Amino acid sequence: MERRFFLRCLGCSFLASAMLQSDFFPEILGGLKSAEAYSLTKNLSSVEARYYKKLPEGGVECGICPRHCRVTDLERGYCGTRENRANVYHTLVYGLACSMNIDPIEKKPLFHFYPGTTAFSLATAGCNVNCKFCQNWDISQSRPEQTDNVDLPPKEVIAICRNQNLPTIAYTYSEPTIFYEYMYDIAELGRSNSIRSVMISNGYMETEPLKNLLPVLNAVKVDLKSIREDYYKNIVGGELKPVLDRIIQIKKSGTWLELVYLIVPTLNDTPEEFRELAGWVKTNLGTDTPLHFSRFYPQYLLKNLPPTPQKTLETAYQICRETGLEYVYLGNLPGHPAESTYCPQCGKILIERKGYRIYQNNIKGNRCYNCQRNIPGLF
Amino acid sequence: MIAKASGGDSGRHLSKDEYRGLLESGFKALAGLNDIKSSVSKFLPGGTIGLKVSCLARKFNSTPVPLADALVELLIQTGISENKIIIWERTNQELESAGYALNTSAAGRKCLGTDTDGYGYSRDFYSSGPVNSLVSRILTETVDHNINLPVLKDHSIAGLSSGMKNMYGAINNPNKYHDTNCDPFVAHVSNLEPLKAKNRLSIIDAVRVQYNGGPGFDSRYLARYNGLILSDNPVAADRVALEILEHCRQQNALPSLEKAGRPAKFLKTAESIGLGTADLSKIDLKVIVKDAGGGERPGEMF
Repeated sequence: MERRFFLRCLGCSFLASAMLQSDFFPEILGGLKSAEAYSLTKNLSSVEARYYKKLPEGGVECGICPRHCRVTDLERGYCGTRENRANVYHTLVYGLACSMNIDPIEKKPLFHFYPGTTAFSLATAGCNVNCKFCQNWDISQSRPEQTDNVDLPPKEVIAICRNQNLPTIAYTYSEPTIFYEYMYDIAELGRSNSIRSVMISNGYMETEPLKNLLPVLNAVKVDLKSIREDYYKNIVGGELKPVLDRIIQIKKSGTWLELVYLIVPTLNDTPEEFRELAGWVKTNLGTDTPLHFSRFYPQYLLKNLPPTPQKTLETAYQICRETGLEYVYLGNLPGHPAESTYCPQCGKILIERKGYRIYQNNIKGNRCYNCQRNIPGLF
Repeated sequence: MIAKASGGDSGRHLSKDEYRGLLESGFKALAGLNDIKSSVSKFLPGGTIGLKVSCLARKFNSTPVPLADALVELLIQTGISENKIIIWERTNQELESAGYALNTSAAGRKCLGTDTDGYGYSRDFYSSGPVNSLVSRILTETVDHNINLPVLKDHSIAGLSSGMKNMYGAINNPNKYHDTNCDPFVAHVSNLEPLKAKNRLSIIDAVRVQYNGGPGFDSRYLARYNGLILSDNPVAADRVALEILEHCRQQNALPSLEKAGRPAKFLKTAESIGLGTADLSKIDLKVIVKDAGGGERPGEMF
């Protein structure tokens, strides 16, 4: 039964993508058939984790994220995917995809990164935070034995991308930090096969792993969930400062960066917070960093809250534009003008979007077709 | 109460019959009755009975199969249908690795993990604090009364692993409950509504106590206590277990858990939210020593 359920979900995912944009990407329909080819596995991986140290008093300390979980024999870290086995720390999810799909790159969202292309998107179980609004909680808050997994080693991921002409791999849905080793090896192999990699992350990673990962990534989208520490503590289950530090680290590295801020009614939706956010982005990242505001829908543990009012999103947009941010977007509002990219200099529409579809792209060689203003990103 | 087997300082496990003797004495003393059937039914008035075992440490230091077998035998003898007894744990793999034979059929006692097809975790979240969890459907939908059947051992984070800590195996996300010496999290897990409502008894195997290096098995730190702790008060059972664990540590020249940096703080938290008694002076502790010949007498804790 579980196998059928998984395949149905997988099929639905492919189908959903195909329905969304079949006129744009008819080849995706082929993915529906290929989904049946993957077999589920009950086995967990047993690959030694990277970035941990053995403690003199016994046990290990994980160094992949700022939690620095101290883990003794047979126990796991907070993410539920890394286990100490006789003082050797293991990742249990290497090569075990629990969710995969072909998505438009706009769905990540990455708006300044090869618009109109697709990404083979995959995830494993687990996450290093526990956002009360998580839309993928059924995989992110699960341990790998609780999800349906397919055995998908890095070379298989690359083979899928090559066979289906998919230019990009997106590590997404759950939190890629917790499947770092798997992500890294795929990205490295992808690089040698001219396949790009993008990480869709909460940014809650340690400095050193990120530093070593960035050279094999082409873009990163970070969910900056709030600009307030108490929100991170109470709603996210993490810390703000390391996230801010990692965002700056990514920006300085030159790897393409976009930010998303999910506006949750009553929790992080005041004009003061939007001003703080805009000011922080302007000061630390520059006005040319794309910032997406996303509409909240009741999910997981916050089903009691209403969807974000459109007016709140527009207020955030307005404040950020007034602060000087040049590429501000509103998401989960299909058809809203703020889904599109405009030239900050002449105001002409550069990329017109509705939902995940692109109706026109007027960027020519990273420049506005009208005034020749340079537009940041990879086009 | 504690039911202890006399003698037996060897490292061997107790047999099913020896466990059976301890269980019978323990149930009767706990109920204050002479009749075993009445004693059992005082705590388990019919319905489907779950036995939540602890199998993390595989065959080395998990709930012994002879103990579970002896308890099943006793329950059957007291009128509970074998078909209404379920030995359960988080996963089938853990059960098998601890020596349990799986049985998912309708006939006979069941033995299965939450990951068995048709079970899994609840659709609804339960919470008692900042973390929310799904609870095994074995507990929420199948079992009417649950017996918590763990082993007593040291735990590198919580300090103590016995009854309440064993219920981490009933939820989907135990990894979210390990910060700050598992406090207040152990208490919060035991306070989840289905656990609080259905846990009837703690029967903690303290025959062979791993007093350091847990929760994984470490043969350097084994002591013989030879007893079972039985209680319908989950906090009191753990508090007595802690006393035994600390005694074993002291006997082996190890510092207290507090000095070792992992005090079992969750006990007081559990008491503060009304789960039971953490003050040893307020626990009415009876100790019975069971002789090899079947006789029994009052005994001392140590």
